Amino acid sequence: MISLRAVTKRFGERTLFGGFDLDLAPGKTTVLMGRSGSGKSTLLRLLNQLERHDAGTLRCGELEIPAGLPHGEWQRRTLQLRRRTAMVFQSYQLFPHLSVLDNVTLAPRVVRGAERSAIEAKARELLAQVGMAAAAERFPARLSGGEAQRVAIARALATDPEVLLLDEPTSALDPNSTADVVAVIADLKRRGMTLAMVTHDPDLGRSLADQLVELPRLRG
Amino acid sequence: MAHVASLLALLLLLVDGCALFAQSLPQRYRDAGEIRWGADAEGGAPFVFVDPNNPRGGEVGFEVDLATELGRVLGVRFRRAQVPYESLVQVLDRGDCDIVLNGFEATPARQALVRLSRPYYVFQQQLSVGAKSTDVRSLDDLVGKRVGVLGQSQSHQLLLERPGIEIVVYESNVTAYEDVVNGRNAASLADVPIARALRPMFPQLRDVGEPFGAYHYCLGIRRSEPELQRALDAAIGALLADGSLERIYRRWSLWTDAQRQLGDPAVANAYVDTAGSASPAGSGAFDWGMAMALLGEGALRTFGISVVSFALAVLLGMAVALWRLHGPRPLRWLAVVYVELLRGTPILVQMLLLYYGLGSIEWLQLGAVEAGVLGLALNYAAYEAEIYRGALLAIPRGQREAAMTLGFTTAQMLRHVVVPQALRLSLAPSTNDFIALFKDSSIVMVITVVELTKQYQMLANQSGRFIVLGLVTSGLYLAMSLPLAFLARRWERAMERDHA
Ligand SMILES: Nc1ncnc2c1ncn2[C@@H]1O[C@H](COP(=O)(O)OP(=O)(O)O)[C@@H](O)[C@H]1O
Ligand SMILES: [Mg+2]
Repeated sequence: MISLRAVTKRFGERTLFGGFDLDLAPGKTTVLMGRSGSGKSTLLRLLNQLERHDAGTLRCGELEIPAGLPHGEWQRRTLQLRRRTAMVFQSYQLFPHLSVLDNVTLAPRVVRGAERSAIEAKARELLAQVGMAAAAERFPARLSGGEAQRVAIARALATDPEVLLLDEPTSALDPNSTADVVAVIADLKRRGMTLAMVTHDPDLGRSLADQLVELPRLRG
Repeated sequence: MAHVASLLALLLLLVDGCALFAQSLPQRYRDAGEIRWGADAEGGAPFVFVDPNNPRGGEVGFEVDLATELGRVLGVRFRRAQVPYESLVQVLDRGDCDIVLNGFEATPARQALVRLSRPYYVFQQQLSVGAKSTDVRSLDDLVGKRVGVLGQSQSHQLLLERPGIEIVVYESNVTAYEDVVNGRNAASLADVPIARALRPMFPQLRDVGEPFGAYHYCLGIRRSEPELQRALDAAIGALLADGSLERIYRRWSLWTDAQRQLGDPAVANAYVDTAGSASPAGSGAFDWGMAMALLGEGALRTFGISVVSFALAVLLGMAVALWRLHGPRPLRWLAVVYVELLRGTPILVQMLLLYYGLGSIEWLQLGAVEAGVLGLALNYAAYEAEIYRGALLAIPRGQREAAMTLGFTTAQMLRHVVVPQALRLSLAPSTNDFIALFKDSSIVMVITVVELTKQYQMLANQSGRFIVLGLVTSGLYLAMSLPLAFLARRWERAMERDHA
């Protein structure tokens, strides 16, 4: 589904990945682990081009993004890539000026031009799926961390992504909230969603992983 | 030879009876050795002005010569103090000059506020129109038309007495003529000496009808100084008697047969009693209802101008901020230049450029209110742009990334995620700017818009009721700004809550 081939990422003088390969198998969960600073986030962000690679190729189905594309072409292809993927951040990044429901409906409305009424029922369904149906009218500032992260997952799902990228989704949460969020992720896995998740929690990683990638070993 | 001449001059000075008049001058002026005469040299020909063809010659004018002669007769030095024409009375009352000598016309409003000396010059009025005008032949043809005049002048008074004319008030005859030339106004009415003196500057203007009326230039003296008035009256009488006045007027081509009336007792004593009889502020002659209505009208105009120009400033400011942060390179530079240019130059200059500068180009000509609104909007947009730029930069990068990973284009990301949040962040500082704009909007008075401050100034000048009218005016400004200040504080608190 999504794959990296011989990808290299540099920050100035420093090479983070030299000729790195990765495949995210459809319907499977790939867990990225490793010490802090080992490049887990960077790898995940390469997958939706929040970071650009310096060599190699990214593939997503028929979509191909080799390194060194002219900016306009890179933008065009990246937009397509991002419409097929979605991301959940450690710090949630809900839109504070929008209600929970509007956070979930915004992307379908803006990106696909969906009617508010058409998308609203589905948004409420997604919120129910993550256990946040009752919070639809609330604003992000009034949510706990665990609640916010579950809304963030619903927001990501609202765009019907083929792949969901999660960057330490539970690192900022207390144990109870963590359990709630993990339950939601496990549920997604059960439903056959393709997942790529960064975590520094070995138990969580092992319990979810179909494929486990340990980053220090892979440094080029 | 030069020695002989100066000796002669000295002798003349001594025998000229000046000692006699000097005796009559109040002691404080004899002690000071000078009398400060208030006049406005801006657009001041032929009274007092700097000759553009000979700027090193210093200030000249027939009233400069008159002052010199008065000084000679009274045995003191006459020193000019720069006073804006429309503020002559207040500045005299404050004591920052001792007399007014500036083509000061004996209007009824002034008769009630100051002492007027015996007239030293008789003048008429001249109506002037643009070269292409055909339908104006006299004041009767001005109904429904825009006519420019110098504020507080005899001409202003004359137009006020004729209903139906749209009077546009200027701080200088030059700008009043300017707006006839560029077609904003149908005509301008002015004292004949001014019309004649400024004609070389405005060859495109045409005088219509014969000069008319007989009006008087007098010295203005504080109400509390009858002795000074008597001394000055005597001095003018002496200059009239010994032919000095005629000599001065002939030198300036201002001599007319009408000047012979100056010796007529009816003319000489025309204003002797006015300062005594017209009771000071509070007589009831002042129409408070009218004054309040005019201030209310001014407040409405201030409100309208401020609201519209701020709305434009917000839109343009946001555009400039976005160009600066996200635009292609040339637009980015343009945004930087725009902000620095408009913040780095006085808004007064921007206004004058916009109104008079562009006014000379026909297809770029703006009405006064439009130019005022645009000038304020352009200026404030620069400040708003900086507020929005700060607010845009304050939106965390994670927010942009979240939008990007959802498949937003840059424009969609800005439109739906970044700008709405930035606007909320800027709400409080922006509202504070809005409050400032309410007060700054009074700057549009320099391009003839009569808003609240200008209306106050005119009413106060006419009536001398600076304090009461000033308090009412301040109250009106506060009524506009306090609710906004209240809102700004509420939004600030709400913002602190949301981001806690
Ligand atoms: N934009 C950047 N510029 C320079 N160095 C960066 C940048 N982003 C990440 N790095 C560096 O790359 C390394 C990997 O970072 P990251 O992928 O965030 O690690 P992890 O998520 O595993 O903790 C770190 O040493 C970090 O300092
Ligand atoms: Mg990380």
